[in-house]
Amino acid sequence: MNVAEKTKTIQPDSLIGKRIPKMDAPEKASGKTRYIHDIDLPGQLHGKILRSARVHARIRSIDTSAARALPGVHVVITAADIPDQRPIGVAKDHLPLKRDRVRSQRDEIAAVAAESEEIALQALKLIKVEYEDLPIISDPTEAIKPGAPLIHPEPHGADGSHEHLKQGMPVAYAGKPDNIAMRFDYGHGDVAQGEAESDVVIEDTFKLHYVTHCCMGVSGIIAEFDASGNLLMYSNTQVPFLHKREFAEYLNMDPSRIRIIQPPIGGGFGSKLDIYPFEVICVFLARAAKRPVKMVFSREEEFLASPTRQPVLLTLRSGCRKDGTLTFRQVHTLHDNGAYTSWGATTPFVMMQTFSSLYRVPHCDYHTTAVYTNNPYAGSFRGYGNLQATFAIEAHMDKLAEAIGMDPLDFRLKNAQEKGEVTGQGMSFKSCGFKECLTTAASRSDFRRKHRENIRNRNTPDPVKRGIGIASMLHVGGGAKIYPSDGCGTILKLDDFAHVTLITGASEIGQGSETVLSQLVCEELGLPISAVTVVNNDTDITPWDVGVHASRTTFIAGNSAIGAAKKAKAKILAAAAKKFECPEADLDLRGGFIIKAASGEPLIDLARLMRNLHFTEKAELVMTTFYYEPPSKHQDKGFKGDVSAAYAWATQVVEVEVDTETGIVRMTRVTGAHDVGRVLNRLGIEGQIEGGVVMGQGYALTEDLTIENGVMRNPNFRDYKLVTAPEIPEMDISFIESMDGEGPQGAKGVGEAPAICIAAATANAIYNATGVRIYGLPFTPERVYRALHGKAEKPYWKPWKPE
Amino acid sequence: MTGIERYVVPASLEQAVECLQQLGEVTILAGGTDLMPQSQAGRLKIKRTLMNIRRIPELKGIALDGDVIRIGALTTISEIMRNDLVKKHLPVLAEACDHFASDQIRNAGTLGGNICNASPAGDTLVPLIVLDAEVELASKPDGKVYQRTMPLAEYFVGPGKTRRAPAELLTGVRIPLPPAGHVARFFKFGTRPALDISAISIGIAGILNQGVMTNVRVAFGAVAPTPVRALHTEEALEGKRLDAATIESVANVARDEVKPIDDIRATAWYRKEMIHNMTKRMLDHVAQA
Repeated sequence: MNVAEKTKTIQPDSLIGKRIPKMDAPEKASGKTRYIHDIDLPGQLHGKILRSARVHARIRSIDTSAARALPGVHVVITAADIPDQRPIGVAKDHLPLKRDRVRSQRDEIAAVAAESEEIALQALKLIKVEYEDLPIISDPTEAIKPGAPLIHPEPHGADGSHEHLKQGMPVAYAGKPDNIAMRFDYGHGDVAQGEAESDVVIEDTFKLHYVTHCCMGVSGIIAEFDASGNLLMYSNTQVPFLHKREFAEYLNMDPSRIRIIQPPIGGGFGSKLDIYPFEVICVFLARAAKRPVKMVFSREEEFLASPTRQPVLLTLRSGCRKDGTLTFRQVHTLHDNGAYTSWGATTPFVMMQTFSSLYRVPHCDYHTTAVYTNNPYAGSFRGYGNLQATFAIEAHMDKLAEAIGMDPLDFRLKNAQEKGEVTGQGMSFKSCGFKECLTTAASRSDFRRKHRENIRNRNTPDPVKRGIGIASMLHVGGGAKIYPSDGCGTILKLDDFAHVTLITGASEIGQGSETVLSQLVCEELGLPISAVTVVNNDTDITPWDVGVHASRTTFIAGNSAIGAAKKAKAKILAAAAKKFECPEADLDLRGGFIIKAASGEPLIDLARLMRNLHFTEKAELVMTTFYYEPPSKHQDKGFKGDVSAAYAWATQVVEVEVDTETGIVRMTRVTGAHDVGRVLNRLGIEGQIEGGVVMGQGYALTEDLTIENGVMRNPNFRDYKLVTAPEIPEMDISFIESMDGEGPQGAKGVGEAPAICIAAATANAIYNATGVRIYGLPFTPERVYRALHGKAEKPYWKPWKPE
Repeated sequence: MTGIERYVVPASLEQAVECLQQLGEVTILAGGTDLMPQSQAGRLKIKRTLMNIRRIPELKGIALDGDVIRIGALTTISEIMRNDLVKKHLPVLAEACDHFASDQIRNAGTLGGNICNASPAGDTLVPLIVLDAEVELASKPDGKVYQRTMPLAEYFVGPGKTRRAPAELLTGVRIPLPPAGHVARFFKFGTRPALDISAISIGIAGILNQGVMTNVRVAFGAVAPTPVRALHTEEALEGKRLDAATIESVANVARDEVKPIDDIRATAWYRKEMIHNMTKRMLDHVAQA
């Protein structure tokens, strides 16, 4: 600042679009970050959970006497010890500790708190459980058949008579008359009319598989009650404020007596949006032991007891006219819900948006049935159903284009949405760079030429065939109003040295929100990024936020932070205007100084002005608050409404080499064009897109959580194959800056976008290379080889919805 | 929580084999890269005595001994990969080491451990078999240290099982220097290029003279309970001119000779297809070279 003081003027500068290293990077890179694993409280015990040895069984008896007698064991609990436990989850169908029945391999039966993890594990081995096996249902198409054994049967008396429970009881008590967990039905237009107007109609079934998040930091929690009975949790949650309320319900507590502190979180990707049994059980243990209890998963447990991406069987019927106009889409999906209901069941919220609104389609009919099975249950995962929907839709875009003899890029451009359109579902595109995404990704990858050449080269003797495929996506980019409020609060203060404390409701889960929010604040206040400390992890300090999901943080929390910063700036300029006896409009903040707006001449160092304000008779501090609520709409019962304040678009072109003698697919290059509104932190957005592409690559090529008859076969990194460094393709990423009018500095959300199109584009690339279309994921060598040799069974599921 | 009663760290080969003779129930620890995860997962129970053999000097190093290269049992995969003798005379072994797990595991894992773990998918086993490697086994049954050798191809009995007697210690591997005109190829098929366990692996070696292969050795990994020499495939190739017809018929023999199983990594059908296609590809490369 001394240097600036000597200069006559301060030139305008901006942090927007610069490459700013993440604020938490030095701590993480040097191994100093204290994750939940690194936190130990005085007097803390270690909790462990006994999980079911069976997939579906009645629990005959549980004997914990030997475990209780083991020295070092403080508490052993089963459902019998917690008479007041309440069902948890999205459908309230899940008791944390199971009473009389286990419904999946992961089910929690008992828990131990002991002086060490080793003792707790030893105690688990001493618990004896007697089971009576029940028939296992692991195929969702079996589970919907009439007469299928029920996963959550309505309770019956010993004589077989139905026990009538009160209306409105949670599923966990009242049971269900069938295996249907949730249904979604949406429509606009008239698909029969659309089909009648079609020159070409195609129908295919797609089979999407299980994958899981594989966060580097495994799940964990520490729960502690103080002497007054207040509960403090150190939790990795992505939604602390919603969880505070939910925990209160599950624990029969006053929500105001629950405080959640989030240590740095080692990866979320949607996995931490729901409350899971281990968290509630850990609180039960802490309550019973009257000590802090810490519970951290092993990697195997992380695989077994974490939610998965939603596996889906999807039958899509689509049509178009000879001129390339889309006529209709009809979609029936069967979601394998697993044994309990978490957010995976609600992925149709997002899936139907893609079917109804990615391309212009006059008639759309969408139905989902989520059905209980004895499989692992599905949660939310980056993209939230959009990977599955996009996989199906983009296969049909290629197939329809081929059927009418149209170039696949032209076909897409003809049907792509544009700025100003309102879709059948009521989404209003106030900024839309979709066509520019398509043309940019296509031209930078030389898509048209390669696509034609690859088809010509399919029959050459070289066993390695080259392919190129294109796919695009639409996702919310300005939050998603799925709760009554989609807002975020900010508290901002400047101290006597012009250091800013930014207190935000928005959680950091590794996505870089601290850095972007600091940038936005510094941009308003004319300060360097080093002038900010972010506080974002304590529900007793930070203002409300709905949570990290729906790619919303930059947009929502960003607008909130800007709002607080603008208020601070107004207060500062008002004080300066008074001091220098000039209109506020003549002044500005730049480089840590109050300057003359016209000339850039510095008038006073901001820190000195802050002290001037503070140490006077009318002593004042600069502290502001702001709550931002986006101008989006809660959807109506027919799922219609402008659910997001802005929408993000992207096109990704994937190039592959297919070895036809092994089935190995090598992803060689990804060319992406993303409508992100505006780039705020170039380094951050590049990292987020590269990471998302690799996550999409794993979904497309290698990751496959294998469940056989309800049993997970590969709960480890040896057999669950993440993409490794040598497989990562070359990437060429372009940013389409559509400057959204509502977005912070014009930006839109991008968190989920990069993972969404990769599998869809890869399927199209394999087809381009070989002439063979594969309808199920992942494209592992054996699956591809079988398909190339006509030995793959094409999935088929007859369109079905419950009456 | 383990049942280990005694931990011993012999400083010489003689001490080690004496311990083995006297203590009976001993689990041997070298690099620990198989032993630790297997015992943690409950697939292997560590016996009453755990013997750490890492301080035994006789088990270390790579040296030329007449017309044989001797590799000590404690030599790590990284050391083999970087060794000049290996790179010069046994490049196929160095190549196999380059496909072996990750750097961290190669730095700790030993050749003796890879052999004694006796996985049908063990990455060094197939190339060592086609190089006619022999294992050295030491014991001290009556106060005197004895050494015996055995062809590696005969050493394996089943997954995790070998012909090593409980009182014996594997001390090293002896590999004859390959003669002039010797060619050797290794192929590892996994579902990704790094950090993977073979779905199948193939080793082919022999002397190539004017397009004709003699002294043929062929071995396959991950298609049987142990790595196996493929005698019918060898016979189909022995003394033949390496032309398209020979290569196709050898690949067919190879496919018929293996009897793999279905498991999480691949089905039997696919393994047989890969044995055929990759045997053919490897021989095409040899013929074109």
